[in-house]
Amino acid sequence: MGVSEELYLSLDEPPTSDHLWRYTPWKKIHPTGDFKEIPRDVKSPRVNLTYVDGEPVEGVTLETGKEAGIPFEGSPTTDSFLMAITKGNSLVLSIPGKWSNEKPLLIDIETEGGVEALHLHILAGDLSEATILTRISGPCEWLGLLRTAETGKGSIVTDVVVSKIQGGSLVRVDALRAGRDSTITSGTVSAGSQKTKADIRYLLDSPGSSLNVLGSLLSAEKMHLDHHIEINHTAPHTYSRLEWHTACGGASTSVGTGMLRIEKGAKQADAGQLFHNLLLSKKASANSIPELEVEESDVVGCGHGTANGPVDESQRFYLMARGFSEQESEDALIAAFLNSTLTEMGGQDVHSWLISAVEDALVNLNN
Amino acid sequence: MSEYAPVLSLEGLHVGIGGTSILHGIDLEIKRGEIHAIMGRNGSGKTTAASTIMGHPDYEIESGSIELDGADLLELEPWERARKGVFLSFQYPQSVPGLQVGHFLRKSVAAIRGDEAAKGAPFRNALKSAMEEVSIPRSFLSRYVNDGFSGGEKKRFEILQLMLLKPKLAILDETDSGLDIDGIRVVSRGINAAIRGSESGALIITHYSRILEHVKPDYVHVLIKGKIVKSGGPELALELEEKGYEWLESDAKEDD
Repeated sequence: MGVSEELYLSLDEPPTSDHLWRYTPWKKIHPTGDFKEIPRDVKSPRVNLTYVDGEPVEGVTLETGKEAGIPFEGSPTTDSFLMAITKGNSLVLSIPGKWSNEKPLLIDIETEGGVEALHLHILAGDLSEATILTRISGPCEWLGLLRTAETGKGSIVTDVVVSKIQGGSLVRVDALRAGRDSTITSGTVSAGSQKTKADIRYLLDSPGSSLNVLGSLLSAEKMHLDHHIEINHTAPHTYSRLEWHTACGGASTSVGTGMLRIEKGAKQADAGQLFHNLLLSKKASANSIPELEVEESDVVGCGHGTANGPVDESQRFYLMARGFSEQESEDALIAAFLNSTLTEMGGQDVHSWLISAVEDALVNLNN
Repeated sequence: MSEYAPVLSLEGLHVGIGGTSILHGIDLEIKRGEIHAIMGRNGSGKTTAASTIMGHPDYEIESGSIELDGADLLELEPWERARKGVFLSFQYPQSVPGLQVGHFLRKSVAAIRGDEAAKGAPFRNALKSAMEEVSIPRSFLSRYVNDGFSGGEKKRFEILQLMLLKPKLAILDETDSGLDIDGIRVVSRGINAAIRGSESGALIITHYSRILEHVKPDYVHVLIKGKIVKSGGPELALELEEKGYEWLESDAKEDD
């Protein structure tokens, strides 16, 4: 029995009083529903690395067989569970120091069904510049995705995950540690999976690091999307922003919980987070709970907010006065709402790619 | 549609909002090529009239009629009115973060003037020419609709839309408010380019006569407490500038 498996089996079921598990209890998202069970027959989804235009990548490697750890502690339950079931299923994406290419990298993860799991570890070398698009697609029953990353000094990394899996459950855990003076843009685009439980964490423990977290999520029909985003500032002169937009249609449920933590010593930290939910039907529900823990008094700023509401009637009237029908104005406002975060995830080529990746999902929103 | 029907005809229009009556019987006719101005103080009902013609759902028509080219507008949704040829330049244009100006303009032109008008070189040329007329740089096309625009930029963007959409009836609700002299000159140039020499009619709503020095109205109407208390030629605007509205308030009271 491995260390992770042993650790997992020693744990109690996490209580729903815990911020992380309040809306999606672990047993509801566990592959079998039996907390004490660690599935044995776990497959790895197909993974392919190219540039976004399909051309082969040079200079960056995606290697199997390398064991990777988690750069900092998150939830012991999911960390140990995912480490246990991805043992032997880990991939390491290595971007050498000073490597740069304007063309985005595309990591295609294709699911096939059954219980699948993958650990993807990203190492971005010092002064490297890369845009990494991770697309998850295919028929899915249960996918556990552990993404860990460490960015080198002065690196500039854009990391966007697009979830388009058909049905099923996605359990995603991210742990990203930002290097000194590195600049990270981290995007999540979700337009698939019946249930998603994501625990996305960032550690800014080197001075001068900067993080911009963006979400554009569509929940439709009876989908249940639960994203927990935790940003930890432990070093001085660190910066973070979170802007999370979710359009909730049908009878879907969307949950966004945030934890922004500024530890003692993180002087001149500057942080803010905003959750914004667009409610498109009376049956849809959205819960956003941003939380702050600030232990340092010398900060530039630290704020959080949440806004829930239907389509703005004044905006709708403005578009209708310009000839947009009722449905066209609603569609345009939903697309605009999601686009305002999508557009911040990268340059024009990334934006066009992301738009095409979510366009088909927009039509399902009003159902 | 009658050949001689006015572009806009309001007859005995009574309008309220939230149970409060605001307009108390407005009669107005605007013929093709005519520019009318409605002047009045804050709260006189000017914006209510503009929003009602456009079909804002908050306003309740208590009685009366609104016709465009002799056809009843009352049962039509705002977008149907827009497609029939009604254009409202908003006093406070809404910002729509995430909706790019270029995409918005093309979509709007396609909805109102048809797909062909929003395609290819003719659209690009019309857009370029209109943008030059109202001094809007090309970089605006990639910005979001009214998002982060200054007050003057918003008003110029409204006039750009007027020029591209070529409506039968243009209602300009305090397009001059918040503009300096140069700003008024620029938007006036756009309004004249869109209306003068065309078959369109226009209704300019304003507090002040400044814009009317650049866009000469054929008729001026004074709205006080929801009623048109006086109508006249362009000289009435100058008279109001000199004397204010007080001298006309007794007319409004007498009719109460």
